[in-house]
Amino acid sequence: MRFSSFIYLFGQGLHNMRANRMMTFASMGVLTVCMLLIGTAFLLGVNIDYMVDYLGDQNFVVAYLDEGVTEEDRAAVEAQIGAMPGVAGITYNSPEAVLQEYSGMLGQYTNLQEVFANDNPFRANYQVTLTDVSQMEAVVARLEGLGHIYRVNAPLAVQQLFLSLQKVITYGSYGLVAVLGLVSIVVINNTIRITVFARRREIGIMKLVGATNGFIRFPFFVEGTASGLLSAVIASGIVCGGYYYLAQWYAAHPTNLTQLFGGELVPLEQVWYLVVAAFVAFGFILCGIGTATSIRKHLNV
Amino acid sequence: MIEFQHVYKTYETHSDENVALQDISLKINEGEFVFVRGHSGAGKSTFLKLMLMEERPDKGRGKIFLNGQDLTKLRRRKIPYMRRKLGVVFQDFRLIPTMTVYENVAFAMRVTNISNKVIRNRVPYVLSLVGLEDKMDRLPDELSGGEQQRVAVARALAHGPKVIIADEPTGNIDPELSMDIMQLFEAINKVHITVVVVTHEHELVNSLAARYGNRVITLAHGRIAADTADPEVARRYLANGGQPVPELSYSV
Ligand SMILES: Nc1ncnc2c1ncn2[C@@H]1O[C@H](COP(=O)(O)OP(=O)(O)OP(=O)(O)O)[C@@H](O)[C@H]1O
Ligand SMILES: [Mg+2]
Repeated sequence: MRFSSFIYLFGQGLHNMRANRMMTFASMGVLTVCMLLIGTAFLLGVNIDYMVDYLGDQNFVVAYLDEGVTEEDRAAVEAQIGAMPGVAGITYNSPEAVLQEYSGMLGQYTNLQEVFANDNPFRANYQVTLTDVSQMEAVVARLEGLGHIYRVNAPLAVQQLFLSLQKVITYGSYGLVAVLGLVSIVVINNTIRITVFARRREIGIMKLVGATNGFIRFPFFVEGTASGLLSAVIASGIVCGGYYYLAQWYAAHPTNLTQLFGGELVPLEQVWYLVVAAFVAFGFILCGIGTATSIRKHLNV
Repeated sequence: MIEFQHVYKTYETHSDENVALQDISLKINEGEFVFVRGHSGAGKSTFLKLMLMEERPDKGRGKIFLNGQDLTKLRRRKIPYMRRKLGVVFQDFRLIPTMTVYENVAFAMRVTNISNKVIRNRVPYVLSLVGLEDKMDRLPDELSGGEQQRVAVARALAHGPKVIIADEPTGNIDPELSMDIMQLFEAINKVHITVVVVTHEHELVNSLAARYGNRVITLAHGRIAADTADPEVARRYLANGGQPVPELSYSV
């Protein structure tokens, strides 16, 4: 094909887009909405991952000792904990140390050290750091199985909630992408099918004067992919813009709950190019498929 | 150049089968000028559509050759390239309604991979041949029937085909202009381009065929009833019980 033909056919595609602007508009609308949903699911997933990771950094459990444990027993327990699989390290906090820490926090109000001088209410504990979060449940069970352990504190429920949430959202977004991808193909396919049908006589004439299938298909391809790319641009703008303001708002309005998860969303700078690239690929590939599958029938002249 | 061997064409409609052509055998040589005439429904358009592969002959019944190439065996992908060797004026014009006159003519050239520069020079030229150089920017709907027909003629000539096939190219044009268009075809034929013209207009055929010695083929009820290049044909046709064709009285 000549370069001038290429330019000509490209121009025809854009021209047709304008000529069928109602159809173009409708299909771009659907595509954009599909992309918005996909983008939202993706960003949600990214942030859940981020929060789970954040919680993962807080991956220690606290084991409180019974009262009145002898120094020998304590050393034995410490050795047992240190040898457990899944444990990365341990820190011993004696009752005195705990008291000191709390009194430091409340220093200006009262002197805890004096109040509890002869009767320390705190228990000695071990802060047990894990090799990774997924070991938490097993380690807690092992710690509870040891002697001289009064209680084990672990953010197990939250941990599990987030792990399962992460799974749901990951699979959910795969499913969503698949379904919306299919929807988009059908929509593009239908749009092009309608415009092809409206122009089937024209296509027949073109074939009778010697046009190849490629020559006829190319403008439709341009039309399809251009609406796909335009939808991608619009959806990227909305998603990235919306996310930017959401992240700002989120950081500016901390609550106890949000503080628990690090207090901020994944910054836009880390995700925008993924969103844009995914949208562009999505628009381009699906529109290509949608176009290729819709014209074939009318080309058999 | 063009050869039909025992070609049959039956149209399947939702209610019945319609035999449009039966046992058509003929040969048109390169550089010939052939008129094809016959009553309405005789099968003239079908005959042309078979050459263009817009229609295909009944399966296994007949072969059509163009430049020695068997069209019934031509691969689908090759069809466009075959069509570019032909310039066709359709009975119903087949102009693209969304394109201007200029674009309609230019399109047939673009398809054939002709450069923009040649297109820019040639389109006004062929339109001037049919007297439409001042209506290049109109849409087909903004033209009279005869004007549309002339655009169709210009489009058929534009890409310089080796064969011109015209189905009633003067059906909507007044006699004087009809004569001009026919003279245009005669002139094109002079430079060794094969021309096949289907027409109802017996007087025109008679006077032109007499003047230029053109071949005249007459179709009747899907069969060749007469062929001035082969007087045997008419005798065989009548001997096989064919209906006599009333307007056979032209002289060569
Ligand atoms: N698409 C079609 N489907 C069914 N029958 C058809 C079709 N096209 C043509 N026919 C039939 O085939 C026969 C030949 O038609 P054709 O168009 O070749 O005639 P023609 O000689 O060109 O007539 P006219 O001078 O009126 O244009 C006619 O009986 C017609 O009804
Ligand atoms: Mg006809």
